[in-house]
Amino acid sequence: MGIIAGLERLEPELQSGLEQASSLSQVDDLYTAFLGRKGALAQLMGHLPELPAEERPAFGKAANAVKERLAELLEARRQFFLSESELAEFARFDPTLPGRSPRQGSLHPVTLVMDEICRVFTSLGFDTVSGPEVETDFYNFEALNLPKDHPARDMQDTLYVSDGVVMRTHTSPMQVRTMLERKKPPLAIIAPGKVYRRDSDLTHTPMFHQIEGLLVDQGISLSHLRGTLTMFLRELFGKSVNVRFRPSFFPFTEPSIEVDISCILCGGEGYRSKGEPCRVCKTTGWLEILGSGMVDPAVFKAVGYDEACAGFAFGLGVERVAMLKYGIDDLRMFFENDLRFLGQFT
Amino acid sequence: MLLSLSWLREFVPYEGTAAELGQALTMIGLEMDGLFRPYERLRPIVVGHVLECARHPEADNLSVCRVDVGDDVLDIVCGAPNVGTGQKVAVVKVGVALPTGGIVKKAKLRGVPSNGMLCSEYELGLSDEHDGILLLEGTLPVGASLPDALALDDEVLDIAVTPNRGDCLSVLGLAREVAAMTGLPLTMPALRMVESGPDCSKDIRLEIADPNLCSLYHGRIIEGASTRKSPARLRYRLNAVGLRAVSNLVDVTNYILMELGQPLHAFDLDEVRGGSIIVRGAEQGETLVTLDGQRRALLPSDITIRDAERVIGLGGVMGGLNSEITEKSSRVFLECAVFNPLAIRKTARRLSLHSEAAYRFERGVDQTGAGYALERAAAMMAEFSGGYVRTGLPKVEPLPWTSPTVRLRRRRAESLLGITLEKGFYEETLSRLYCKVREVALPADAEQTGSDQEWDVVPPGYRRDLTREADLIEEVARLYGVDRVPPSLPKVSRLLERVGEPESRHVFLGRIKRWAQGAGLHEVINYSFVSHRELDHLAGEDGARTNERISIMNPLNDDMNVLRTDLAPGLLRSLSNNLTQGANSVGLFEVATVFASELASETTVREVPRLGILLYGARFEQAWPQSAGDMDYLDLKGLLEHLFSSFTLPEADFILADNVGPSVKKCFPAWLSPCVRVDVRGDCVGWAGRVRPTAAESYHAKKAVWMAELDLDRVLSLRRDGAGGFVRLPVFPPVRRDMTCIAGPTITAGMIVEEIRKLRSPLLVSSHLIDYFEPDGREERNLTFRLIFRHAERTLRDEEVDKQRDAIAASLQKSLPVQI
Repeated sequence: MGIIAGLERLEPELQSGLEQASSLSQVDDLYTAFLGRKGALAQLMGHLPELPAEERPAFGKAANAVKERLAELLEARRQFFLSESELAEFARFDPTLPGRSPRQGSLHPVTLVMDEICRVFTSLGFDTVSGPEVETDFYNFEALNLPKDHPARDMQDTLYVSDGVVMRTHTSPMQVRTMLERKKPPLAIIAPGKVYRRDSDLTHTPMFHQIEGLLVDQGISLSHLRGTLTMFLRELFGKSVNVRFRPSFFPFTEPSIEVDISCILCGGEGYRSKGEPCRVCKTTGWLEILGSGMVDPAVFKAVGYDEACAGFAFGLGVERVAMLKYGIDDLRMFFENDLRFLGQFT
Repeated sequence: MLLSLSWLREFVPYEGTAAELGQALTMIGLEMDGLFRPYERLRPIVVGHVLECARHPEADNLSVCRVDVGDDVLDIVCGAPNVGTGQKVAVVKVGVALPTGGIVKKAKLRGVPSNGMLCSEYELGLSDEHDGILLLEGTLPVGASLPDALALDDEVLDIAVTPNRGDCLSVLGLAREVAAMTGLPLTMPALRMVESGPDCSKDIRLEIADPNLCSLYHGRIIEGASTRKSPARLRYRLNAVGLRAVSNLVDVTNYILMELGQPLHAFDLDEVRGGSIIVRGAEQGETLVTLDGQRRALLPSDITIRDAERVIGLGGVMGGLNSEITEKSSRVFLECAVFNPLAIRKTARRLSLHSEAAYRFERGVDQTGAGYALERAAAMMAEFSGGYVRTGLPKVEPLPWTSPTVRLRRRRAESLLGITLEKGFYEETLSRLYCKVREVALPADAEQTGSDQEWDVVPPGYRRDLTREADLIEEVARLYGVDRVPPSLPKVSRLLERVGEPESRHVFLGRIKRWAQGAGLHEVINYSFVSHRELDHLAGEDGARTNERISIMNPLNDDMNVLRTDLAPGLLRSLSNNLTQGANSVGLFEVATVFASELASETTVREVPRLGILLYGARFEQAWPQSAGDMDYLDLKGLLEHLFSSFTLPEADFILADNVGPSVKKCFPAWLSPCVRVDVRGDCVGWAGRVRPTAAESYHAKKAVWMAELDLDRVLSLRRDGAGGFVRLPVFPPVRRDMTCIAGPTITAGMIVEEIRKLRSPLLVSSHLIDYFEPDGREERNLTFRLIFRHAERTLRDEEVDKQRDAIAASLQKSLPVQI
């Protein structure tokens, strides 16, 4: 048999082989048999020197054409089996099976709210500072214009570690500490942390969290306090919230201002849509949200600042904000650490 | 402070509603906490006229009455002994609720129908009086609603008075505020006192030992008094503002206290021995039985009122039982004094005697108003008791009140408030507050300081809180309305020198928290308080370092009597809470402060921020498709290693603490076994381990509880500055060789790795454990390590790698009792 005839027979032979092939591996076997290193085509090519020199180029050309053709046939059949097995595989694919997740952690709502508040003030240029939870009487009371045996101390029932050493009843000692440390204005700080009171009932826990803010600089006014807190409260509770200022008393500020926001449940109406009294604001339309005021001259005096300088300070309870923001109605949930509660704050 | 609106209107003609008043007071700093109508339930009850009253045919103690109630005439059977024809009575009709409970129904009493009920004061909730029905004045209109007919104080505001405003703890004080706020006139009740009898001012010798304890002491004598019930109106009024009526003489002192804010005390003059009253500190060891029947041990700091022989009262706090007004009293010595606020506060707090009087004295009583209060009280006492006020006023005032003169600068006020007010506003506002205001000539340097108007202001005697310019500025702002101050944003000038300061502790702790959340842990927050009992239980006998604990002097309860020394108790309690809720996979963390005694510290306490981690139960909350199994030491250690690498900290060593000496061991948490020390460069930064089953049991834990605590101050100090250097990627391929060591139980994986490292084999780049196997029933463990070799400049040949491996194996077998 001539090698040319042999060349011409390759295609029909492969075709019939491919027709009979029933799997990808059989196609791969055929590839080896025809186009492999020792396959049929290679064997024919081995006979090339037997041809007369003038026929060799034509034969070579023909052989290349056959090689390309065979490769095409093999590839087509290969693709057929590949897509077939893909289909078979996906026929049983169930995209609804549960995913293999890493453990899902969570941050306590108190942390989330503190972070959010700190973020607003940090973006305004306030520094975050922190300090001790056990305080001396000087930092917690005296320097804040709360002398010994003053009735204003009744406002904060105090836990004592020893005579003159207390569990801090508010984050305000950080005002004193920072002013002493920085020595002179300007300063703008925010101080988040735990505070303690000797109080425990449905709406009070002996430990809770506060955030203190203090801004001291030239020409700071009550109008600035209002502008800053209004902006902050709208950032926290939404643009539509109204802010109300009313006079109050804190020994370390003068004037002292209690800040209310329009009730976030009833929108300040005092009543819900069906005329039902609002349980959150108790029909007043307002919610007490933070205490604030202009720094009392006595505080500046205690830290050795010029009494002519001015500043404002404010403090707010983190749990209260968290309760309003997330609609939590039981304060005790914060310290029971029930995973069903915590797991909601991922 | 409970304020009756109708009482207030006796001082100032306020015409708005109670709700409007409450709102307005709130906006000037006197917040309304509540508004209630004490006599609202009396509204459906009407004045009736008993037309006929006959004995019940079947019962001697019942009467059958025909009662005109205006729109009807009702037959009512009444059991009261004092009912009679022609009386005006309080009638509760059928279907109406009684203020003290129950609804009046149609009834038949011994066969006679009854369509309503005639009531006693007690049944109406007006007083404790229940001997017979309430007999009303004959002039009252039939059918009128009871609160209207009796002019009861039917609207009461609960005003939260801040500690600086002791002057507002009275109807008068709040009336002054209303007058200042509205511009309405303030009217004081006219005094109608008539003195008679011989002058008594020399009969009582008054002596004040220390003017600082008592700056004013006045007295009045009322003779011929008889003790009886006060007039109904006075009793109902006291009842409306939460005070129980006692008797005419005592009720008057309470009435004046509520009305004018001046505490008074009535002594039985016959019990004041030796005709003298002395005010001075108690003697050491003295006692007094106070009005409440309790014997009180007194201290020299307590202000006592004494006669020639004995202590008869605890000044400003509570009277003595020995000189109490009784039913037999007919001669009264009425005391009106001003005591030192601090002294009163100390005594009241020490004895837990928080009387209305002490509350007001602590906050400062108006010395300039004391005289008026005493005269009004004496006149009322005489009127209600049938007695008369003796001529003469025994009095001493060793320390007359002088108000300070305070300079107010307009420029300062407007700079502090950020608003501009009309020129006349300052003077007008302060005058309305009864301050004396005098504009002063501007100082010579006025132009320089920019001052444009200044006043000298003298506040009234009752405004003890106004002593400084800032206080006056607040008054101006308060009456202008702080809510009218427009918002503006300040420019925060930030010192550039603070830029580039290291991350604050708070920010670092925040990053730790976010790492822990990302690692799949839930953040818990526990109280900083734990109990000594719990710490003792956890630490056991040897581990309890009680002298380092910080106890709370006045704990809320015994579960919170000490500050936590570790996060473990709180984490374990959180675990316990969740186990009782059926949790089976618990991963918790807490970032919080622990406390220990440190005498050198300013606060005597060392506070260290810690990270605590607790792992318990199933590795994954989800059963499928995760591999089943409970968390163990490797999960805990893996977390810690992940933390160290996340924060680019140096590698930590995990050392079994049981191997360290007993002195070191004492500092380790006794509740962990095994307890593993976490060291960085030889310094302990924390520990990890398994909670002893005996300790875990009390927290409902049936499986292993794994815990770790790290000192975050140490961790913070370990952080490397800047990024670690970049290592160029290798060009030539590595060659791996695996090597299995068969080792006894005392040989740790760490020891083998350390030995290999020590060989400093030149081509070895790393060695780590890839398989670990404990064959059943044998002590030895099989540890397979993968050794990776590489040459930086060429591809390694198999033979040279094999040679290296063999050398390592040979050395290992020499230095450690292992087989390869």
